[in-house]
Amino acid sequence: MKAEFLNSNQAVAEGAMAAGLGVYVGYPITPSSDMFEYLSEELPKRGGSVFQAEDEIASINALVGASLAGAKSMTATSGPGFSLMMEGIGFAAMVEAPLMIVDVMRAGPSTGIATQIGQGDIYQARWGSHGVYNLVAYAPASAQEAYDYAIKSFNAAYRVRTPVVLMTDAVLAHTRERVVLRDPGELEIVGRKAPKVAPDQYRPYRPDPEDLVPPMAFYGEGYHPIAESLSHDERGYYKTDDEIYRALVSRLVRKVEVNKSKLIASKSYYVEDADVLFVAIGSMARNLLALVRELRGRGIKAGMFRPISLWPFDDESFVAAAARASKIVTVELNQGQLYQILKGILWDNRNKVSNPTIYNLDMPLPTLPTPDEIMGEIESRGWKLW
Amino acid sequence: MSSGSKHEIVIAGRGGQGILLAGYILGKALVDEGYYVVNSEEYSAETRGGDSKAELIVAKDEEPDLMTVQRADIAAFMYTDQMSKYYKLVGKSATLVLDSTFIKEAPKDAGKVFMAPFTDVAEKQVGNIRAANMVMLGYFAAKTGLVGLDPLINAMKSVTNPNWVEVNAKALKAGYELV
Repeated sequence: MKAEFLNSNQAVAEGAMAAGLGVYVGYPITPSSDMFEYLSEELPKRGGSVFQAEDEIASINALVGASLAGAKSMTATSGPGFSLMMEGIGFAAMVEAPLMIVDVMRAGPSTGIATQIGQGDIYQARWGSHGVYNLVAYAPASAQEAYDYAIKSFNAAYRVRTPVVLMTDAVLAHTRERVVLRDPGELEIVGRKAPKVAPDQYRPYRPDPEDLVPPMAFYGEGYHPIAESLSHDERGYYKTDDEIYRALVSRLVRKVEVNKSKLIASKSYYVEDADVLFVAIGSMARNLLALVRELRGRGIKAGMFRPISLWPFDDESFVAAAARASKIVTVELNQGQLYQILKGILWDNRNKVSNPTIYNLDMPLPTLPTPDEIMGEIESRGWKLW
Repeated sequence: MSSGSKHEIVIAGRGGQGILLAGYILGKALVDEGYYVVNSEEYSAETRGGDSKAELIVAKDEEPDLMTVQRADIAAFMYTDQMSKYYKLVGKSATLVLDSTFIKEAPKDAGKVFMAPFTDVAEKQVGNIRAANMVMLGYFAAKTGLVGLDPLINAMKSVTNPNWVEVNAKALKAGYELV
């Protein structure tokens, strides 16, 4: 292990390479571009390939091919490019190609403000492509977590054979911190589950009944897997029967649900006796935690829940953190996307919590507010939180 | 810097003045000296002339929560426009380091103020106007006592292009020795 002074873009690159990154395809966009630059220098030295495609649509589709051919595959982008990738994300979900998309969130919609922070892509990551499917998304809150969750994102991608979105933001992307880079032996690296049958017995979309994930044959190994974006049966042949379609897309959703315990992650702070529970992700959670500590210093029973897996959400840990809270406050640089997620979870778990009021501290700002500015925003709403 | 102390630092100027590199080198030198450092950067879409700001949150004993500066106790400004724009981040009685080539007057409520013509010194004494950021950084280190000249030179060597090491070292030294 060794410690380096890296920003989150570089930390993600290091984590991805530690996980065995083979192919990076991308199109430059602020604030993700320096990850591309870093990998252009570093990845070829470690035996991988870097390719600049003509745009983000080509990037994501090239990655699907690279993934099916056996390479750990990744791209990085930001809002406008992420929007362009949506069709390809659906393609990856349908053909069950494990790959990683890093979305460095910036202010939007559209081209918004290129160099400034946003947190508005939470729902887009999960629901941006059309149709019935599922995927995994993580939101780290430090350069160290960016490194750790780059590795975990690839592990998740191969565990459930879906695209995985690693969501950072413009502030994290350009903030250097100490990052401990681990040696190969210190890391858990999950690879594909290879076929155990002979090529003539192999069905590329026949799931393992336990985890609903089909064993994955790579191109060139003699199994001749078909990548079919249309509705398909276990062989990969185009079929439109109700039952075949339903079984396929239900499995695409359920394979994430049945493996949820291996995918979820979150952190709770001061929740044991918390009356006011704050919830935030990414760099916002850092400045919010500083405010929570200030409030604790003033004798206010404040706590914080920080989801790291956004999809699937760690609802059990959230409900445990919220058990004693009478007020829950989501704090985010958008119109209240975590707020919408938590309302549903609280309703589903209304017997396990004590009827808390949930407040939406939505701050669609292109800059990260300081603890004082968050406090000022709370006071301006006139809420009686303590 | 005494053990257990924390600092919030802002360095700002125009795009092209080398603000972000100065922040990176200062951060790297402090990390090498055993501090926790959170070094964020903000810049506008223009390559030259826009706003450019580096922030550092420095602590000895524990990793800081803060991502961004709330009340800087030390600030360096290399241009008037960005001093006006970011002075709101500077706390009362902070230490200011200013490039007097461009900034003729310090804010009235500042604490300690240290001014020197970094850009002029870079151009006339070091022989390269682009090293003004390193002159500032050397002077900054000497006046604040945060870090010594050698750790700065070592950090600079580890992050800058080899072609620039000699001129940067000369500029850091020139700034450190400015009175």
